[in-house]
Amino acid sequence: MNERQLIARVIAGDRLAGRALYDTHAPRVYSLAYRLSGDAEKAREFTQDTFIRAFSRLAQFRGDAAFSTWLHRITVTVVSNARRSEVRIAREVTLDEAHSIEAAPEAEPDLKESIARAVEELSEAYRATLIMHDIEGYTHAEIAEILGVPEGTCKSRLSAARAQLREALAAFKE
Amino acid sequence: MDDDRFDDLIRNLPDDFKVPDPPLEEMWQVIENAHFNSRTASTSRVWTQSTPWLAAAAALLIGIGIGRYTPTRNAGPTPDSASGSASGSASGSRPPAPSTQLPFYDTSAVADAYRDQTNQYLGQAAALLISLPAKAGTQQADATFANKASDLLVTTRLLIDSPAATQDPKLRSLLEDLELVLVQIARLRGERNKGDLDLIHQAVEQGDVISRLNSAVATTQSSE
Repeated sequence: MNERQLIARVIAGDRLAGRALYDTHAPRVYSLAYRLSGDAEKAREFTQDTFIRAFSRLAQFRGDAAFSTWLHRITVTVVSNARRSEVRIAREVTLDEAHSIEAAPEAEPDLKESIARAVEELSEAYRATLIMHDIEGYTHAEIAEILGVPEGTCKSRLSAARAQLREALAAFKE
Repeated sequence: MDDDRFDDLIRNLPDDFKVPDPPLEEMWQVIENAHFNSRTASTSRVWTQSTPWLAAAAALLIGIGIGRYTPTRNAGPTPDSASGSASGSASGSRPPAPSTQLPFYDTSAVADAYRDQTNQYLGQAAALLISLPAKAGTQQADATFANKASDLLVTTRLLIDSPAATQDPKLRSLLEDLELVLVQIARLRGERNKGDLDLIHQAVEQGDVISRLNSAVATTQSSE
């Protein structure tokens, strides 16, 4: 049974077809969610949320793009929305607690930690592009379709993201 | 940091951001509960909301059909007295129906009514599938097929849960396959795609739907 038939079956309420679609796509969705969030528990929640949303909107899937592209677009939206609210909460906490927190003595971070931190500090658009291209292995065309931007924008974002990463890691000589 | 070193670093990023094994079963439980276990109610809500007159009409048609074939018992014993009295059945009258199943009605008449409605429906479904063109037609022609499929889809879903299907696994399987095909035809209206008709014909052929339909019609007619 091909993917289009599986989709029609899921719309008709067939849970086995739903499971088949899930088995095909869940590992990649989880991987993307994990790398975008950096947290296994959040990745689990985002993956669940992605499939629940996707199944409930399956009738709206028109087949213009590949199903995986449509699904990964939902994943990126789910993660981005969650991160935006996390950032807002973090800002509020930082403002509230600014006076009570003492700066911890800065330890010499190792390269891996520094990379993780530098990636985390990139803007949302740069971060998503870098993670999808350099870590998850998506092509520019795929990223452009998932993020809904022209391919040229995607390339320039990647270039800018790498430049920022390089600058952040300039302290490491070797 | 020089270019080579930075390029190495970029190449090694996937190893630095290793992904743990996804908890597939655990996640599926949540998804299944959220989508499929609450779906029975929500699905019927969706299709009755989107075509409320259609659902009402289909239910009414089946109801009228059942009503026409169902004689009421004007002078018969009440279900309680019938089931509680051994002499009632010993006196030659029809044995009482199980008290949980349509106590006031003749169950064989109800089965006849469902069979008649099913037969009529199967004929319409067969006609639709046979007349389905091999190539995509005009948008208007597609819409006609899509509308007809939507109408039949409502009846399909009612029949899947009816006694006619629950007592006949073959018929139920046929109705489920028909539901899938009709969903695809109904979608022709929204997204007319060159490959869609091919896929529908493929599904009909793979499921041997038309010959199963013909055989189901023959079976229900011969049992009348």
